Amino acid sequence: MEDRLNELRAEALARVAAATDEAALRAVDKDYNGKEGAVTLLLASVPGLPPAERPVVGKGANVLKRDIQGAIAARKEALEQAAVEAERSGAGFDATLPGAPQSRGSLHPLTQVRREVEAIFTSMGYAVLDGPEVELDYYNFQALNIPADHPAREMQDTFYCDREGRLVMRTQTSPVQIRAMERLAPPFRVIAPGRVFRNEEQDATHEHTFHQVEGLVVGEDITVGHLSGVLKGFLRRFFLRELEVRLRPGYFPFVEPGFELDIRCPFCDDGCRVCKHTRWVEFCGCGMVHPRVLDAGGVDPEAWTGFAFGFGLDRLVMLRYGIDDIRHFMGGDLRFLEQF
Amino acid sequence: MLISYRWLERHVDLSGVTPQQLAEDLTLSTCEVEGVEAFAPHLSAVTVGHVVTREQHPDADKLSLCTVDVGAGEPLQIVCGAPNVRAGLKVAVATVGTVLPGDFKIKRSKIRGVESCGMICSIRELELGDEHDGIWELPQELAVGTAVAEALGVADWVFEVDNKSITHRPDLWGHRGIARELAAIYGRELKPLDTSLPAHGDAPGLPVKVSAGACARYVGLAVDGVQNGPSPLWLKLLLLAVGQRPIDLLVDVSNFVMLDLGQPNHLFDRTRLDARGIEVRLARAGETITTLDGEERKLSDADLLICSGDRPVALAGVMGGEDSKVEGDTGQLLLECASFDAVTIRRTSSRLGLRTDSSARFEKSLDPTLPLQAAGHLVRTLQALQPGVTLPSAPVEDGDWSDPAHVLELRGARVRRLLGVDLSDERIATLLTSLDFGVERAGEVLRVRVPSRRATKDVTLEQDLVEEVGRLYRYDNVPERALLAEVAPPPHDARRELVTRLQDRLAGGAAFHEALSYSFVPDALLATLGLAEREYVRLVNPVVDGERCVRRSVVPSLLALLEKNRRLRADVRLFELGKGYLPERSDARGLPKEVHELALVWTRPKPGQDARFDAGLLAQLRGVLDDLVTAVGYPAPSWERPPAELALEPWMHPGRTLVGAMRLPEAQQWSLPIFLCELEPGLHRPLGLVNELAGEVAIARVSLDALLACAPRPSGYVPLPRLPGNKVDVALALPVDVPAGDARAAIEQSGKGLVREVELFDVYQGPGLAEGRKSLAYHVLLQSDQKTVSDEEAHKFFKRLERAVGELGGELRKE
Ligand SMILES: [Zn+2]
Repeated sequence: MEDRLNELRAEALARVAAATDEAALRAVDKDYNGKEGAVTLLLASVPGLPPAERPVVGKGANVLKRDIQGAIAARKEALEQAAVEAERSGAGFDATLPGAPQSRGSLHPLTQVRREVEAIFTSMGYAVLDGPEVELDYYNFQALNIPADHPAREMQDTFYCDREGRLVMRTQTSPVQIRAMERLAPPFRVIAPGRVFRNEEQDATHEHTFHQVEGLVVGEDITVGHLSGVLKGFLRRFFLRELEVRLRPGYFPFVEPGFELDIRCPFCDDGCRVCKHTRWVEFCGCGMVHPRVLDAGGVDPEAWTGFAFGFGLDRLVMLRYGIDDIRHFMGGDLRFLEQF
Repeated sequence: MLISYRWLERHVDLSGVTPQQLAEDLTLSTCEVEGVEAFAPHLSAVTVGHVVTREQHPDADKLSLCTVDVGAGEPLQIVCGAPNVRAGLKVAVATVGTVLPGDFKIKRSKIRGVESCGMICSIRELELGDEHDGIWELPQELAVGTAVAEALGVADWVFEVDNKSITHRPDLWGHRGIARELAAIYGRELKPLDTSLPAHGDAPGLPVKVSAGACARYVGLAVDGVQNGPSPLWLKLLLLAVGQRPIDLLVDVSNFVMLDLGQPNHLFDRTRLDARGIEVRLARAGETITTLDGEERKLSDADLLICSGDRPVALAGVMGGEDSKVEGDTGQLLLECASFDAVTIRRTSSRLGLRTDSSARFEKSLDPTLPLQAAGHLVRTLQALQPGVTLPSAPVEDGDWSDPAHVLELRGARVRRLLGVDLSDERIATLLTSLDFGVERAGEVLRVRVPSRRATKDVTLEQDLVEEVGRLYRYDNVPERALLAEVAPPPHDARRELVTRLQDRLAGGAAFHEALSYSFVPDALLATLGLAEREYVRLVNPVVDGERCVRRSVVPSLLALLEKNRRLRADVRLFELGKGYLPERSDARGLPKEVHELALVWTRPKPGQDARFDAGLLAQLRGVLDDLVTAVGYPAPSWERPPAELALEPWMHPGRTLVGAMRLPEAQQWSLPIFLCELEPGLHRPLGLVNELAGEVAIARVSLDALLACAPRPSGYVPLPRLPGNKVDVALALPVDVPAGDARAAIEQSGKGLVREVELFDVYQGPGLAEGRKSLAYHVLLQSDQKTVSDEEAHKFFKRLERAVGELGGELRKE
């Protein structure tokens, strides 16, 4: 009987050692330790054995069963180790397989840059206001010190919405200045981004529909120095670097004194197409709010002073991304929109 | 407007000031200089030559063979075709290698067999005039071998001033005005200019009568003894530098005075004027005048005319009349210098589309003291050229004008407060004085006399003087200051916040692309969509004739983007947040009702046969909207068929449109802020979505105004389940016309409160199912807070569901 035990042991351990996967190990376990397994049968035959052999065979079979199970466990562990080791080699990995496509949408670049501008100004305590795109002549012109027959009206190529000239597509975001003064009591600081319209022929740098950001600050002792500080501060933060700027006289009927703020051309050192070889790019029109405009907004020009500014958002987006044709903005072409 | 450096030098000493420096200083203190260019650079490239010999060309009658000394090496042999070439002349020579205007490069060449090493230039070849009947005969005293520009002293620089930057400055529309600014900037003297009228005779002058308020002042001055002909070179060159073509002495001097002082003027042939004299009056409606450009102009009663007797001879301030043109050698002239009303001139010139140098200046409200100065300047200029020029009579003038010069009070404190610079009153006075303002100290204030040239419109308020001080001080010198104030957080703006959240959600998970489209919708698109009959805010003056309607809704513009984008991409998802305008709901002041809208359009090809289960694009978009509305803080809408009384938009599919109903804060009140539909089937073709572009099109329109009025989703959270749930799958075989909503209701009811989640994951029709049957398969989560849902409980659910499905005419499908 002992021979039989030894024979089974040798055979089982050899099979365990030869097994290369879990299924083979399970088969070994089944063949020896299963219901009909060889070791199980041997154990079952113990009661029929001569009494003297019973303890030897019984004990021997139990030991064998445990040893086989132990060998299977060890072998299983070794196989797993080997599998992990094999996996580590990275065999069969194709490093050039493309990523699975994910669908994603996009925010219009004008939205993205507008938000950036709004974030910078709101962090400085500005409220963001909105105003109608179809606007009363009163807000777009008259209250801004541009009475009927003022030459500035012609400079703006207005779209009129009625024959009487009462209703216009706003040519600037400046009407929001008056609306803000009507709504808010000074001191206050606001910006008003939005869509504006000029009756112009379209080309790569001209659109009849474009976007501006208006700013208005009214307070007790607001000076040119503050205007300069705010705009320079904004530009430093937006472009994330010190940008040379200059403030020069500029004429806008609703400010006095009025300025243009130029920034050093970001594209060149000594003149290029973008800056028309002047090395300066016009960034914004601004100035101290005209006393008549404060009056129109119901703000006492002796008690309060203020500054206002307005810049083109499209220009800022074009500078940011190097976009060379303003018509892309309103073109609705997915090949353009997807890039942002 | 073009400004010449040499011309400025007539009025102010510019020594030591480079053209580039001057351009920058003008830009920083006065007006925008957009460009600086050398005038006629080719004049520096051609050389003064001396014609040493001239012989007949051996093979051509009309050609001459010359030797020309250009001051370097041997004289050059040059073949010349001009009749006036002769030995001894000083001429302008373009040697081999020189490039003349028009990119014309001079090469060594053979002309009729004879070598020619250069070209002797005519006036026209140098772009200095039209004369081309011979070569340009230079003054004899010029030194051979020097550049022509240098020899003549005509090297010049031209500045381009942005007209917009001087709209408010009538005084800057002439060189003397700009020179006055430079004198102030550089602290130099403005050179004196004698503009007084020379002595005149005492013959009676031609009567002048002003019968219209639009002419404040009209000065007529008889001038005799002018011999018309070409202008002297210096005058031609100045005019050429600023882009004016020299014509003849009379025209050139008239232009010279305008460009020098900014005062337009006009010369009439006095022999052709009616003895009754000049009358300035408004035109009669329908009256016509043929202007100098040969065009007949039909006038309105708002146009101002200069008449001889009653016959119109000039369109006041805009252009002279054809038949009073000075022709030939009349020698008897009438000089007109006047002050016309800015608005009248601007209206006439813009209505007639006739913008001239003259109208551009009158539009700016010119100084009414200027006419007489201009007359003096013009006569003196003529007399300097032709001593025989005389004035037979005193100037005759009419008009109701007064000197606009006035005094403003300026508080030094106001200057300091607005500029934020600590300027002393004394410094302020100095700056203003340098700009020709008269300043008197009077205690706390400065009494500032505004000269007439600045007083017509430009400087009328204290704050205008602050600008004068500021710009001369230079805004760039004002120190940057931080804005200090007590600031409260800006008020909450629900709409702005909503817009931001909608954009982020859509551009994120929903993979929509944000588009911006024009506010103007083409008529053709409106007609296609059946929207042409609606009321629109309409442009009176559109860019394109068929694009005058201002949109009421954002959807049509997005629909117009589908075709071109479907050509580029199979799956097109676009959204836009924008405004629409409803004129029929205008407010009391006439402002149309503004509506805020989110529009979504989605198109893709129809899914193929082997595609995974997909409930269709409408359901997809409905899912996007459920997610979107929930994400921005509202309960998911309840989707319903539109009530019968609700008018659908013509682009909505009449049989496949849903409204998203949402609760208002008031109990039992509902609102319909969302429309969801497929595209009206008849519109696929007109919108170009056929053939290879055919597919499903789903559209949604969300009114932000209505959405903002709805009751928000309660804040708070649902506690996490403590007990495990039981997930089961059920498949229902139902008659095809039973809606999925009924099946879902059956599932929910059968759960007796245990159904927590129901997800449709398959819809199927085909083999394995009876004809007219469909299968709907759901994942269902049964869960309770009180107990673990046992398999037995799940079994009871199946039993109840079996009954409920039976009532719908179907049965549960077994695995
Ligand atoms: Zn540049």
